[in-house]
Amino acid sequence: MAALPLAASAGEALVLGLTTGPVCLASCGPVVLPWMLVQPKGIGPHSRQLLLFLAARLAGYMVFAAAAWLVGAAIPRAWSGRSWAYGGIELLLAIALLVYAAGWPRPRRALSEPSPRLVRIGEAPRPRPSGAVALGFLTGINLCPPFLVAGVRAAQLAHLSGALFFFLCFFAGTAIWFLPFLSLGFLQRTPAVVTVARMVAVLLACWYGFSGASLLIERIING
Amino acid sequence: MASPSSAPARPPAFRSIGRSILLTLPIALWSLLMFTPSFRSGGRALSIGAVLVIVFMTSLFFLMMRTGETYRWRRIFFVALGFLFPVGFIASLIAERGTMSIPISRMVSGDTPFCFMVTPALILPAAFARTIVFPGSILPTASNPHSIAVMIGLWFAFTLVLGKAWCSYACFFGGMDEGFAAFGKRRRLHRFVTKYGSILRLIPWAILLCVVLLSAALFEPFYCMWLCPFKTVTEFPAVRDLETALQFGVFVTLFVGLVVVLPYLTKKRTQCGFFCPFGAFQSLFNKINLFDIRFDREKCFDCGLCQTSCPTVALSKESVREGKTLLNCMKCGACVDACKKDAAVWHLKGTPVAVKPERARLLFLYGAWALATMFGGSILANSIATMVHWLPLK
Repeated sequence: MAALPLAASAGEALVLGLTTGPVCLASCGPVVLPWMLVQPKGIGPHSRQLLLFLAARLAGYMVFAAAAWLVGAAIPRAWSGRSWAYGGIELLLAIALLVYAAGWPRPRRALSEPSPRLVRIGEAPRPRPSGAVALGFLTGINLCPPFLVAGVRAAQLAHLSGALFFFLCFFAGTAIWFLPFLSLGFLQRTPAVVTVARMVAVLLACWYGFSGASLLIERIING
Repeated sequence: MASPSSAPARPPAFRSIGRSILLTLPIALWSLLMFTPSFRSGGRALSIGAVLVIVFMTSLFFLMMRTGETYRWRRIFFVALGFLFPVGFIASLIAERGTMSIPISRMVSGDTPFCFMVTPALILPAAFARTIVFPGSILPTASNPHSIAVMIGLWFAFTLVLGKAWCSYACFFGGMDEGFAAFGKRRRLHRFVTKYGSILRLIPWAILLCVVLLSAALFEPFYCMWLCPFKTVTEFPAVRDLETALQFGVFVTLFVGLVVVLPYLTKKRTQCGFFCPFGAFQSLFNKINLFDIRFDREKCFDCGLCQTSCPTVALSKESVREGKTLLNCMKCGACVDACKKDAAVWHLKGTPVAVKPERARLLFLYGAWALATMFGGSILANSIATMVHWLPLK
């Protein structure tokens, strides 16, 4: 790519990310907030978890950018399997939220053996990097409106590297909007806060599960 | 109706009749002031409603002054408000549009009456997208006087002074579950509520967070669309397809479960205490308002009557030992009335605890009852006027 189109493309993606960031925030907020609230207090653990989440989200973006470029603009715009993807991703999000809300999976142990990792109800579970990664990746490939706009634009670019670069810049623009989540690190972690966060995760899992299932059922009925 | 305690906490005549009348005078004058427009331009039915409400509200306040009890008299008003509000509201809907369901055209034109329950869900979309995610109008219009600005303004002014007392003196929904909780005396699920109270009282916070996050994500008032039990007795999106039918099913299930069955079984305000996200939001304002309930540790002997009497499980053993209520206290006065040792007292923040608590109670009640008369009283007057219209009184 020539230097000027590359810079223009980067600028366009960054501005698109910055301006549509609040929508990304609103779209990912229901997943990020309960996850961050079950982390131990402090800016350090929160930064780590947010970085992991954003890195996994970036990976999701890259996968989508590559797919969008390979298949063309049809993916984001009028792809007939879009509701399958929406429904499937929402169901996976529901499962991931339920799994991490319950603190599962845990290593199998003999019944008589006391677990050093036993988490009592109300206590903060140990930080699980895999949770941030799974939730980040699933929100990364979730087809929110700004993401679809970026997908259309990336699909029109001449090279795969261009599409990936476009999404990288788009990601940078949206990621800034996630920084306020770090302030949750200052919130006191009482057992009540952790319990509420887990309840939120379960309730949101119910919603995503319902939403995903209804999309899939509708798709099956309508063909 | 079941009383919060089995024995009277105070002598029947707490204050002399003359003194009680004197203390009731400001409320009587306030009521007259509030309902003067109804006499001038409201017609015969509304005038009858206004007179009845003035007598009703003034009498209840007088009884509060005379007996020194708050909860019992407040509950009569609150239950009346809860049960009469749908009467007037549904009648006005039927008269105006012929149905309780909201037609799409009304939503598009922003003519849906605003309900304060949506307030917390408006914050994020308003902050990030400068958009109100409710199909109502911001300023009052001829077709929709219940605008967003009017309702939020009223709510905010009241809340700054009295905190979560809104949920016990102004909310036109809370009286329904309080009414069903008052039927019968046996607490069938008492042990369940005692055992899991600490978890149950956290549920509204979880629902509040979900509602706020999903309203921002979906750009719609999620609580109104999916979770409000009171849609059953007010208005709801017209049932057009499977989704709206499902929504209506959820509303009815939540209403029957949380407003009728569980209050009856537990003798608690289950919808308000264990579900309502607006109640959780309102709890935050308990931190900054002027009044609270405190416990005089020198008089308290940990009998637990206050905890049993609390309709929303806003007291725990630990909180009483610390001399405070929990954040979700609605200032209904049940614990104060139930306490046989007068250890539970009304308190004006910044003053010593248990020093002239009756003065704090009076100050609180003037504010709360003035609002109850203005807000709930006008709803009651409208509902009574509706019923007068229906009655063949020629």
